[in-house]
Amino acid sequence: MKWYYWVAIIPPVLACITCLRLIIRLVTPGRPEDFSVPAGNISESIRYAYTSSMNPARKETAFLHLPTYAAGIIYHAGTFLSLIFFPFIWLQLSPSEPVIFITSIVLVSSALCGIGILIKRMTNSRMRKLSNPDDYISNILVTGFQVTTVIVLNFSSAYFTYFIVSGLLFLYFPVGKLKHAVYFFAARYHLGLFFGRRGVWPPVNEK
Amino acid sequence: MQGNTPKIKPGIFNNHPDSRMITNMNSCVHCGLCAESCFFYLATKDERFMPGRKADLVTSVYRRYCTWQGKVFPKLVNARELNGEFASEMTDLLFGACTMCGRCSMHCSTGVDVPYLVRLGRTMLSEMGFVPATLQSTVNAALESGNNMSIPLTEFLDTIKWMEEELMDETGDPLSRIPVNEKRKEILYTLNPREPKFYPLSISAMAKIFYFAGESWTLSSEMYDVTNYAYFSGNNKEAAIIAERLRKEMKHLDCNTLVLAECGHGTRAFRWEAPNYLKQQFPFKVISSVECIADYIRKGRINLDPDKIKVPVTIHDPCNLVRNGGVINEQRYILKQFVKQFIEMEPHGIDNFCCGGGGGQLAMSEFNERRMKAAVIKAEQIRQTGAKIVVTPCHNCIDQLTQVNIYYKLGIKLMTMAEIVAEAIIPHKTNF
Ligand code: SF4
Ligand code: SF4
Repeated sequence: MKWYYWVAIIPPVLACITCLRLIIRLVTPGRPEDFSVPAGNISESIRYAYTSSMNPARKETAFLHLPTYAAGIIYHAGTFLSLIFFPFIWLQLSPSEPVIFITSIVLVSSALCGIGILIKRMTNSRMRKLSNPDDYISNILVTGFQVTTVIVLNFSSAYFTYFIVSGLLFLYFPVGKLKHAVYFFAARYHLGLFFGRRGVWPPVNEK
Repeated sequence: MQGNTPKIKPGIFNNHPDSRMITNMNSCVHCGLCAESCFFYLATKDERFMPGRKADLVTSVYRRYCTWQGKVFPKLVNARELNGEFASEMTDLLFGACTMCGRCSMHCSTGVDVPYLVRLGRTMLSEMGFVPATLQSTVNAALESGNNMSIPLTEFLDTIKWMEEELMDETGDPLSRIPVNEKRKEILYTLNPREPKFYPLSISAMAKIFYFAGESWTLSSEMYDVTNYAYFSGNNKEAAIIAERLRKEMKHLDCNTLVLAECGHGTRAFRWEAPNYLKQQFPFKVISSVECIADYIRKGRINLDPDKIKVPVTIHDPCNLVRNGGVINEQRYILKQFVKQFIEMEPHGIDNFCCGGGGGQLAMSEFNERRMKAAVIKAEQIRQTGAKIVVTPCHNCIDQLTQVNIYYKLGIKLMTMAEIVAEAIIPHKTNF
């Protein structure tokens, strides 16, 4: 193994430690104290918050913005796929040709979605006003990670570039919005807790 | 207020280091998809009114003072210094452009609880003395006089006497009464001070329902105010003082059930928030008057004329009672007993749009123009139903919709739930 393989493992380890630290910080205080008498089924509501509540037919932010919503889903799927491939690439385990082919198609699509979202953020006035430099940097790093994953899967000479880009992404993880990889799950939990306690979720026809 | 240099107190965030706060401070991904969920944005297309931007006002202060990223790279993560100018901007948007209706959080891509953040922001502004003077004067009135309209005791008791005479006319029973300060009754019933002040007939309407249900109930002259505007001002100490008065009066009169009058935020503030201000679970039952009426119908304690209301009727769902309070189907169950043509607004129920009067907006006259402009969404919803009567179980919504009715020339009649039920009630002999 070349020297940079050993260096390349440091950033993802640090990112994992950050994830763990965030989870401990969220879990340690326990469920927020609430003295009101519950009116609904809290665990059903939490289940609903992670599942049906995100059904595009129900979620206004999804059905009013279907192309953006779909692009977001594909983009996130590409990110997870790239992350799954990271240990295999690091261990230099080469997948079979069909797997490389299908993965490449998915990752090219997801990277294009990422570029589309970035362009929207840069050109749409309301998105520009909502965005800060972290939003752009996070998008560029994640899209870059997906693109270099495709490249390294197809051209073994690209390992160095791949590890540079993935390293930057993992090092940047604790800084900005990429942390929503953890906070997203916490946010759904708290929303389920809130609406469940008050008997709002799951909606009555699903109870 | 805004002209003074504020005493900076972002330390409020350190007082709530629970996972709910940490989560909400860090979850917005700035996707911007929530814009259309907010009626302020929909009505005006003003980008400052996007829920994500309102949330960002609060989280940017958190990042600046409570995170290393905000301290080291403030520009990178938009961490903002809390100065007088920024506090004024926050006051304008957090008080004047959000009713804390919660519609955005229900649809948010990730699940950010925007009204929770807005209220945290209001609490911070309250600690800095930035609560709009109009809203604070409503809170002060409640703190000083015991009700938010500063109604003197004699005036209140005179109104109740007058309504008792109305009740006798309605029931035809000269012994029918509106009990005040009677101990050990089943129910202590509260009022929105707008009732004794402007809409006293809604008191006699509810009294008529209690009469025919054969209920054992009382009002209190000491503490009848269901509202708690300190919930909106963000001042938890003042909210606790107001809530504690009602809890104490319940204990003093030794009743079993507290029935909260038709007031969305009052119901929310006492049933869901007050136990947390006071750090205790109440030893008595707390229900809304809508649930109480629905229960009477289910148990056959009151009978309603199924042919009574023939004109088209719709319902406006008060955000604090419905989306934030879980009283979703009871009002529909009640109306369907005696309304021939019941038409839903679209969207309705937990997806309803706010009328625009929530969040303390009605008390803050400085935002009147914006409030009426934003109400176009609700006005159009009502117009599309073709309803002649709009029922809403909230006196605050009644006030706002009365103004909307005039402003947008809707030609509708507004009624509370008690008023419309009292009209449809079939008189029968009671045990009293
Ligand atoms: S939908 Fe949620 S995550 Fe997206 S901008 Fe709005 S508040 Fe933020
Ligand atoms: S809580 Fe309601 S008023 Fe406030 S930002 Fe969200 S949708 Fe708009």
